[in-house]
Amino acid sequence: MEWESDERELKAAGAVALGGGRVGFLIRGWEIETCKRSILNSSLLQEWEEKLQTSHLPEMVFGESCLILKHVSSGIKVHFNAFDALCGWKLEALPPVEVPAAAQWKFRCKPTDQVILDYDYTFTTPYCGSAGVEKSPESGRGPPDERSCSPHWEDCEEQIDMVALAAKEPILFYDEVVLYEDELADNGISLLTVKVRVMPSGWFLLLRFWLRVDGVLMRLRDTRMHCSFRESAEPVILRESCWREATFKALSSKGYPTDSAAYSDPGVISERLPIVMRKTQKFIVK
Amino acid sequence: MSDLDRQIEQLKRCEPLTESEVKALCLKAMEILVEESNVQRVDAPVTICGDIHGQFYDMKELFKVGDDCPKTNYLFLGDFVDRGFYSVETFLLLLALKVRYPDRITLIRGNHESRQITQVYGFYDECLRKYGSVNVWRYCTDIFDYLSLSALIENRIFCVHGGLSPAISTLDQIRIIDRKQEVPHDGAMCDLLWSDPEDIVDGWGLSPRGAGFLFGGSVVSSFNHTNNIDYICRAHQLVMEGYKWMFNNQIVTVWSAPNYCYRCGNVAAILELNENLESEFRVFEAAPQESRGAPAKKPPPDYFL
Repeated sequence: MEWESDERELKAAGAVALGGGRVGFLIRGWEIETCKRSILNSSLLQEWEEKLQTSHLPEMVFGESCLILKHVSSGIKVHFNAFDALCGWKLEALPPVEVPAAAQWKFRCKPTDQVILDYDYTFTTPYCGSAGVEKSPESGRGPPDERSCSPHWEDCEEQIDMVALAAKEPILFYDEVVLYEDELADNGISLLTVKVRVMPSGWFLLLRFWLRVDGVLMRLRDTRMHCSFRESAEPVILRESCWREATFKALSSKGYPTDSAAYSDPGVISERLPIVMRKTQKFIVK
Repeated sequence: MSDLDRQIEQLKRCEPLTESEVKALCLKAMEILVEESNVQRVDAPVTICGDIHGQFYDMKELFKVGDDCPKTNYLFLGDFVDRGFYSVETFLLLLALKVRYPDRITLIRGNHESRQITQVYGFYDECLRKYGSVNVWRYCTDIFDYLSLSALIENRIFCVHGGLSPAISTLDQIRIIDRKQEVPHDGAMCDLLWSDPEDIVDGWGLSPRGAGFLFGGSVVSSFNHTNNIDYICRAHQLVMEGYKWMFNNQIVTVWSAPNYCYRCGNVAAILELNENLESEFRVFEAAPQESRGAPAKKPPPDYFL
C-alpha cells in the first residue's frame, strides 16, 4: 500500500497538491513530483536499444517513471530517469563479472561455434541524477532549453547535515521510484531506485544503485541530495556521492556471513562495505 | 468430501495446510512423479502456463481465464515459488491438484525449484515464517527433485522451462538423464532449466556471467527438425506482453505472472491448445487489490538517510 500524506501537516506547511492526476506537491517554491509507470513494452525496449546502441537492457526498465524536483522561480530542475542512467552504464562499460559457476564452466565441453558475450550485464552506472535550468515560459517562447544556462556541480567542503535529517520532523511527502531492475538471471540483483522525502524544513533524496552478484561481489553507489527551504531566490542543493564495494571473499575474511540471503537489504549492510569513493558537491548556476 | 478435496478447497482460499498434511501430500505426490518420464507425454487439449512465482491471487485469475482443473488440462512450466508472497500456498495447491488429478495436470521443474535458489529468493524464508521451522521447505524441495524436466505434447510441441543445451540434440538424450537430484551447476539438466534464446547469436552463445548458454535461431531449427517437432514452448523470461515468438515461430516464451513482483505492470498469458493443437493465447491481468485478502497497513514514514 502506498504511503499517504497527512492533510493537516500539508496544510500547515503550505503544500498544495499538484492535481490533475499528478503525484506530488508544490511546496515552498518547489514542484516535487513522482511518476510511476509499467516496465517498457517490447517495441519501446527496441527503440531504447537503438538509441543506446546496445542489444541488452535490464529486464525491467521503468522507462517512463521519474522523480522531478523543480524550483519554479529559478527554473532549476533536478530529475531522475532510467534513460540517463543507462547512458551512464553504456559509457562506463565495466568488464563483465564472472559468477562462481564460471570456474566449473571453463572445463565444460562447449560448442565450437560459441560466441562469448561481453557487455556489463550488471548495469552498473555512475549516474547521480540529471539537472538543468529551464527558462520560465515568460522569458522566451518555444520549448524549455536546459542548455541556455550552464549549471554544474562543484566540489565543496560543506556536508549534508545528517544529524538534522535524522530528526523526526513530519514527512509531508514520501515516495520511491524504481528506475530499472535486473535479476541477473537469478544470480543476484541489480537495482536502481530513488527515494524522496519532503519535510517542512526541506527535501532529501537518495538515489541508490545496488548490485549483488551472488557469491562474488556487492556494489552500492549512493547519491544523496539535500535542499533546505529558505527565503532567498537561489536554492542551495548539496549532493553527496558515496560508492562502496566488497567481494564476498573479503567479507568472509572479516568473519562476516557469505550467504546471499544475509545481503538482501543494502540499507542494513552498507556499513560492512568499504568506501571506494566519496565526494560532496554543490549545485551552481552561472 | 475426501481429505484431499477438503485440502484443495482450503488451499484455494489461500490457507496453508498443516505441516503433517504437507508431509503426507508430498509422499503421495512422490509416488506419482517418480513414474513420470523426463520427457513427459501430454495429450491435447491442454493449456500451457509459464512462471507463477508465488503470486497466488494472480494464479487464481489464471484459473478464471483458463477454467478450473480438471475441467481444463494444464501443463505448468515451473518456477512456482520465490519472489511472490504466497509460494507455499501456490505450490501446495498445484501439488494437491496433481495428486487429485494426475492425468489432468503436469508440473515440470523450473530453475527456482531448487534448494539453493529458494534459500536466496524467498521460499525458504516464507516456509520458516509460516511454519516456524524449515520442515515444509524440506518436504517441498525433496519433491522438486522428482519433477519432470520437460514435456512433449502429442509428439509435436516440446515444452521446457529454460531452453536447449549443446549436450542435447535428441529427446532420447533427455530421457536418460538421472533427474532425481538438486539442479546441478552445469550439464544438460542445468541448461534445460536455465538457458535462454538470444536474437544476436545464431548458434550458441555464452553469457557474460561466464555460465549459462544462449541459443540462436539455427540451434532451434536443427533441434526441431531432428526431433520432428513443430515448435518449442518455454517460460523463464519476463515478457511484457505475456508471450513472445522468436525465430520465425519456432519457439515461444509464455509468462504467467502478471504485474510481476507486484510492480512491473506487465500482462500475463497462457497458451491454450485444442485437440487439433490449434493455439490461442489468453492474456490476463493481475488480480484486483481488493481480492488479495486483508489490505496492507499504511506504512510508517520512512526516515531513510
